[in-house]
Formats: sequence, structure tokens, C-alpha cells
Amino acid sequence: MKLKSLGLAAWLLGTCALATPALAQVNIGLLAGITGGAAAMAPEIIKSYEFAVKQVNDQGGILNGQKLVGNVADSGCKPQVAADAATKLVNVSRVIGIAGPMCSGALLAAANSATIPAGVLLISPAATSPEITTLKDNDLVFRTVPSDEYQGQALARTLLSRGTQTVAVSFINNDYGKGIAAAFKKEFEAKGGKITAFAGHEESKSSYRSDLAELAKGGADTLVLLDYGDTSGLTILREAIENGFFKNFVGAEGMKTSAPIKAFGAENLSTFIASAPIPAKSQALDIFNAAFSKAGGDVNGSYVAPSFDAVFLLALAIEKAGGDKTKLPQSLRAVTSGKGEPIMPGEWKKAKELIAAGKEIDYKGASGSVNFDERGDVPGSYGLFKVSGSDYEVITEMK
Amino acid sequence: MDIFSFVNFFLLPGVVQGSIYALGAIGITLIYAIMRYGHFAHGDLATFGAFTALFVAGLLGLSPYAALPVAVVVAALLAIAIDWLFYAHLRRMPKIITTIASFGVALMLRSVVQIIWGVDTTSYTRGISRPENWFGIRVKPHELVTLLVVIGLVIALHLFLTRNKWGKAMRAMSDNPDLALLSGIDNNKVIAMTWVIAGGLCAASGFFLGLNTELRSLMGWNILLPTFAAAILGGVGRIEGAIVGGLVVGVTEELSVLVIPSEYKMLSSFAILLVVLLLRPTGLFRGKIL
Repeated sequence: MKLKSLGLAAWLLGTCALATPALAQVNIGLLAGITGGAAAMAPEIIKSYEFAVKQVNDQGGILNGQKLVGNVADSGCKPQVAADAATKLVNVSRVIGIAGPMCSGALLAAANSATIPAGVLLISPAATSPEITTLKDNDLVFRTVPSDEYQGQALARTLLSRGTQTVAVSFINNDYGKGIAAAFKKEFEAKGGKITAFAGHEESKSSYRSDLAELAKGGADTLVLLDYGDTSGLTILREAIENGFFKNFVGAEGMKTSAPIKAFGAENLSTFIASAPIPAKSQALDIFNAAFSKAGGDVNGSYVAPSFDAVFLLALAIEKAGGDKTKLPQSLRAVTSGKGEPIMPGEWKKAKELIAAGKEIDYKGASGSVNFDERGDVPGSYGLFKVSGSDYEVITEMK
Repeated sequence: MDIFSFVNFFLLPGVVQGSIYALGAIGITLIYAIMRYGHFAHGDLATFGAFTALFVAGLLGLSPYAALPVAVVVAALLAIAIDWLFYAHLRRMPKIITTIASFGVALMLRSVVQIIWGVDTTSYTRGISRPENWFGIRVKPHELVTLLVVIGLVIALHLFLTRNKWGKAMRAMSDNPDLALLSGIDNNKVIAMTWVIAGGLCAASGFFLGLNTELRSLMGWNILLPTFAAAILGGVGRIEGAIVGGLVVGVTEELSVLVIPSEYKMLSSFAILLVVLLLRPTGLFRGKIL
């Protein structure tokens, strides 16, 4: 009896879902780690997401003049929080595509538990773990930010070419840290460098002096710290400098935040360098930067260009697919194929008219060409930065 | 490894960290002794205290040390207010309800901190303070202050509980609340007193955590587990147990790196908790059985 009524309830629910009328709005999800380890980056990323949504709506809306609605949700930079948020977006807000989340662990959980099973397209602007490349995603997971596989390798080659042969590596024990550390280690050792210590650490401890003492035992004077500059990375950097465990410090894009400069002052960070993806100079980037700063955004904020691209691409794919969820991945590939009329960031009206006329278009992303490979990844260009005044300054491009 | 690097990089950080845990654990153990429930909002109350000190120091242009007493008083008052608002009417209900309510209070406190002070990491002082060298032992001034203040607070608390009338009333109520009530002890006053002490010590633990590292909105939540481990290790309800427990947990965490991979450092406080619960559920100092 119980089973029967349950079945009935499920059937009723199913028909309800099928019978949902076409709404006068198109829902997409905007996931960002508003709380958690990468929270400092979230405000500008959300601003950039919403800026893209606004541009679409200001230029005639999506499909038949419908409104594009961005549902902001917090992925907490944590797997369980992100999975809950994505489930809610998919089942309650009924989104057909999601931009975000920012953190790699959050993305893997959200994709595996919510978006892939539901057939929802996901484009992340900031999750960089190499793990995501090999995700079995039915072509539903894309990134507008390059994988750390490339960055780890580029960082290893750049250090070696600058004459650093011996390093100790400390990484945060999550998908981001493990991924980039493994890529770095492989390339650094293959090219003849020596890694004296290679250890992970938990994010939320308040002292890492014993970890540092262990890392320093091998005698390296350079510490490669693959972590977030707002949480444990900051604590480790402070304790390493204070106690003189290492002389030189090398970080990746997670460390390139304003927190270390604010906390220690630039004068104490003269031996600190960090790599980060740099948007290749392009006309598209200039257009985006001008428009975004006019709208009150900070163009130097981390991942703002990829975030804009993620939302804009989502909108283009929805337009191209005519709102059909199942056609979104192939439509996304169609608008980034490298063939057809070029569309610059913000040129929504032009793109809409061309799509309506059945013409091919090719979106030129603010963060780069965004021509996805078969795994949904984009190639990247990186720069090595040093601290200069209250900000970072490029020393060299990395190859 | 020579003896100096052992002391400098393993023992000393462990002791400093342990005394921060101890301050929190005293509050947890005291609340359990008097009111018989685990208080999970303790970590976030510590965060609140730490940020209050930051606010006061910034507002009046004081050194953070001068702001500590203000933060302690504010957190003590807040603790009484929280008890009055959220826990008082649950007092006659099963204790598990209050325990769960304290989770809710923890989330609320954290959100308040995030709304007022944001989610960015900050610190009391800008710049790098290098440790001073005392015949090979490297101690930073604020580590020394941490240890001295913690010792001072513990002695003051001990004197209060053994010499003062209200301290004795608290111990009486911890032993047998009904009997204490019959002997004319005002339960409500004792409970308020408990919150003042627990809240004040909690703010101090948050302050010293912030002083030794950085201030961030999840800092208190992150030390909640080791703090509970410390309270249980020492024997719930025993002040001296909480202090010893805090030091043991702090030192073990740092020393664990020598034997297990550092990404499992977190595991050591879990492991201590498990072993104690299995082998000696009453804790080192024979606390009240959980």
C-alpha cells in the first residue's frame, strides 16, 4: 500500500514536472564560493557574472525576448556545500545551465552529483584541477580557465630556466593543490630539477611550523607553495618568513591575492613570486575591460574575464540551441568553433541576429579564444608575477 | 634533529596552540559541568571575540593587547544574551535540543561576523615579527604574552572557584543542581556567572588565535574539534583536565608530523578523541561520564 501511494506520488510529481509551462524567463545558475577558502575572489566574480546577464537583458533578452535570470548560489568552495547548491539550482530553480563553481573539489562534487545526471551544462571560470579534464561528463562540463596541468608544467620550466634547481613543495590537500603539485613535480623532475620534500597539508590548521621544519630538512632554500593566499597559504608564508625556514617563495594563482601584501607589507615579500593565468592581450579583452570598469567592476580581480565568458557563452549556447537543454553542448561548441562571424564580448544583439539568420558565429572571449578541445578545456597563457607596491607586476611570460 | 629545533619548531608551537585550545576547553567543560550540554557555538563565539578586539583596536587606535579586556567583556555579555535568548527556555527539555540549538547559534554568529567584518583574512598587526633568540630558544613576543596571560587567567579562575562564594556555588551546582537549589543557591545567577567566565575565556582564546596567526571568519569553527577533544581528554567537567587536555592535543598535533604524513595532521585530534573514548571514557581526570 505504502509503495503504491509512493509510486502514485512519484507519478504525479513527474507529470507536474513535464507539464511545467514555458516560462517567460530562462534560468541559469551562478555558482561561486561566497563563503569558504576562496571567498575573497567571489565578489568580483559574481559582479562579472551579473554584468554578463545584464548585457544580455539590456540588448533584447534571450530567445523570444525572454529575460535571462541568474540564480546566485553559494558553493562554499566545499564539495558537500557545492553539491547541495547545484542540486537546488537544478531541481528547484530549474536552471538549464550553470556558470561556476570556482573551486575544483566543489566542481567535481556538483558535476557528479547534480549537473551531469540532470544533463545540465556547466561552465566553470576558475576550477583549474587537471582531474576535471578526465571527468566522465557526457560533454557537459567546460572550463573557460586553463587546466593546472599546463600551469604546473610552465611553472616548473620557468623556475628551472631562472636557475632554481632544488625546491621543496608544499601543497594544500584538495583537488586543486594535489593536481597542480603533481603536474609541477612531474615536469620539474623530468627536466632535471630536484625536489627535496613534497608534502600536503590541511587547510584549516593554525600552526604549520612543524610542517615547515620537516620540509626544510632537505636543505632547499626555495619553497613552492601551492595553496590559497587567503587561508593556510598566508599562515605558512608568514611562519616560513618569520622563522627563516626558506629564502625564496614561489606560488601559483591561488597565492596571488592581495592578502599577503596587506598582511606582511611588500617590503617583506621581495623574494616571493607567483604564477597566474594572464588573459592574452586581445581586442576582446580591451572591450571587456572598458565595459566592466565602466560598470563599476575591478578588471584586475581574479577570474573576472573567464567568469564573464562563462555566462556569455552559456547565453549564446542557449540562444543557438533555441532553449533546448539537450542541444546545449553541441551549440556551445558551434559558437566557439573558430569559424564564422567573430562576436566580441558584449555583442549580444549582433550575435542574436546572426543566429536568427542561421549564420555561423565565433565568440572571441575576453579571457582568450575559448575554442574548447574535446575535453572541454582551453589552452592558457601564464605570467610570473612579483610584488610591486600594493599589487603584482609581471616579470616574465611563462612558456 | 637537535634539541633546539625540536623545541623551537615542534614543542613550542604545540604548547602555544595547546594553551589556546585550553582556554576554549575550559569554557566547554564548565558549561557541561553546570548545564550538562555540549556547546557547539563556542568556536564562533571565539571568532566574534577576536573580531571585536580588532574593531576596538582599530576604532580607538589602541594596541590589540589593550583591546583584549574590552573584547572579553563584550563576549561575556554576548554569551549571557545568547543564553537568555536561545537556551534559557530549553533548560527543562532534553539536553540534546540545546546542543542542536547551539549549532544554530554557531551559524548565526558566524554569519553576523561575515556580514560585519566580511570574509577577507585580516590580522591585528601588519608586517612580520621575527622571533627573539633566548640562548637558542626562539620565542616571539606575542607567544610569550599568550602563555603568560593564559597562566594568569587559569590561576585567577582557580582562585575564584576555590575561594570565592560564587565560585563555590558553581562547584556545588556542578556536583548536584537540586541540592544546590535546596541550599539556597540561585541557579540563574550561577548560570549567568558560568556564561560570563566561558564567554570571556572564549574571546581570549579567539584573540590569541588571531594574534598568533590571522583573523578569518572560520577560525573559531576550525578549532572547535580539537577544543572538544581537549575537554573530553581531560575529563568533561574538570577544569584542570581541560588545561592538560588542551596542551596534550596541541603538542600531539605538532609532533604528529614527525611520524605521519602532514596532510593527516588533522587526524591526530580525532585519533586522541577516539582512543580516549575507547580506553578511558571519563578522561584523564575522571570527569563526569558522558
